Amino acid sequence: MGKRITVPFGSQHVALPEPIKFVFQTENEKITSVEVDVGYVHRGIEKACQTKFKYTQVGYVVARVCGLCSISHTLGYVTAVERLMGVEVPKRALYLRLIVSELDRVHSHLLAMGHTAEVAGYENLFMQTFRYRETAMELLELLTGNRVQYDYATIGGVNRDLTPDVAKTLKERLKELKERCLWIKDVFENDFTLKLRWKGVGVVTKEMAKRFNVVGPPARAAGLETDCRAEFNYLPFKELGFKLVVRNGGDIYDRNLVRAYEVINSIEMVENALEGLPEGDVKVAVKGLPDGESFVRVEAPRGELFYYVKGSKKMVLDRVRIRVPTFANIPVMKELFVGMDYADVPATVISFDPCLSCTAR
Amino acid sequence: MDFKKFRKKSPWLLHYNTGSCNGCDIEILACLAPKYDLERFGILNRGNPKQSDVLIVTGPVTKRARERLIRLYFEMPEPKVVVAVGACACTGGVFRHMYNVLNGVDKVIPVDVYVPGCAARPEAIIDGVAKALEILEKKKKDFVPPKVCKNVEVKEPINRKFLLEKCLGVKNEG
Repeated sequence: MGKRITVPFGSQHVALPEPIKFVFQTENEKITSVEVDVGYVHRGIEKACQTKFKYTQVGYVVARVCGLCSISHTLGYVTAVERLMGVEVPKRALYLRLIVSELDRVHSHLLAMGHTAEVAGYENLFMQTFRYRETAMELLELLTGNRVQYDYATIGGVNRDLTPDVAKTLKERLKELKERCLWIKDVFENDFTLKLRWKGVGVVTKEMAKRFNVVGPPARAAGLETDCRAEFNYLPFKELGFKLVVRNGGDIYDRNLVRAYEVINSIEMVENALEGLPEGDVKVAVKGLPDGESFVRVEAPRGELFYYVKGSKKMVLDRVRIRVPTFANIPVMKELFVGMDYADVPATVISFDPCLSCTAR
Repeated sequence: MDFKKFRKKSPWLLHYNTGSCNGCDIEILACLAPKYDLERFGILNRGNPKQSDVLIVTGPVTKRARERLIRLYFEMPEPKVVVAVGACACTGGVFRHMYNVLNGVDKVIPVDVYVPGCAARPEAIIDGVAKALEILEKKKKDFVPPKVCKNVEVKEPINRKFLLEKCLGVKNEG
């Protein structure tokens, strides 16, 4: 029987860019119980969407739920409203949305991978990943005009067209980005020390993933074939060469590998989209007011993002409900920690890529 | 700019997120990464308030984050500077007048430099931090060690919130 020690982790911690609080009860380095507190950044966005903002403005407000997957939130909301109002979005706009959403996935995944490397003590790899991530950020800036909050998708299309110059630069720089991402994938797959550190740590089995309803890269690393890009038709993924990445390990190593393969696949999809970009308008005028209810599932970088929208012929919506991927992943994290060494905790937390500003809103 | 002045000392950062959307936070991370590289000014990000000189705050300050922010601020040694990064840290931004939000960092602690933008660009953040370092240098010159605080009488058990409010009250009286 060892000595019981309580270890608080958060709410302010170097490894965490955002406030989350874990309280671990440990016994000889082994964790016996965990408490999680995620509510530090609750701002009340859902309430404000139903009272303060018009339905045309809400798309820009929900983008501020999370800076890393801002385009996913906008896409979810915009698609839901378009389905309510029966808007036919031009094909070119759909392709442009896909390009931005996939480039966003590239930079978000690279950030998550770099962070895991840093927490494992591999600072050099962290810096390299961040250097390569900057390429994706520059491409996004070129395309949308901003580095983080794109405000690109709007009801009925997109806000900004792609000029031929930009398309040419994008194509050239994507080749460069792909080479670098292949190098990163190689390091994450074959590096000896990283394997020693990550293999067999924080294993989520397929049964566990099913029981706790895990979403996103952690679920795909555990062998569950779940991806909203394949299951829900909101952007033309299938015709642009979408491949489902599934692995069977379920540990930190496999989670990062799923991300690495998805990055490559995303870059390929963007290349295909640029190759076969249809001509035409990027935006159609929208008339009328939303009436009725609809829901949409979108694959954000962290997993399935769910939007429910209800309107009754008013400028302000009756209800906007957001269910975010991190919320679905927290129960399995809690289960995972019991019986784990305390030293493995930061790497495991970061490998799930938690996004607290999404969770608390 | 006179970079020699900054090289005299290596200022350390403390970063706290009080409810922002992560956009500014990843831009701060990008500042520390190779492309923008704040480290060339000797700046390091260390999560320890007792060793930091510059407090970078992002987010509009939610009601729960308020207490933590005040505590972090008082745990930092004098002289110190505060940089508010992002539109929502300056004024509340898009979250202004939402029910759980206090509309900006300067409602809670004194702010020296405001960096606008949603999300603030890395160049702007670096500029803001460089300005903050100038202010820090000035503050160092004018710095007078404070009088010893008078003892605050507390009944058992010690209530941290009560202590904090007492301490704040003493500070406001001068």
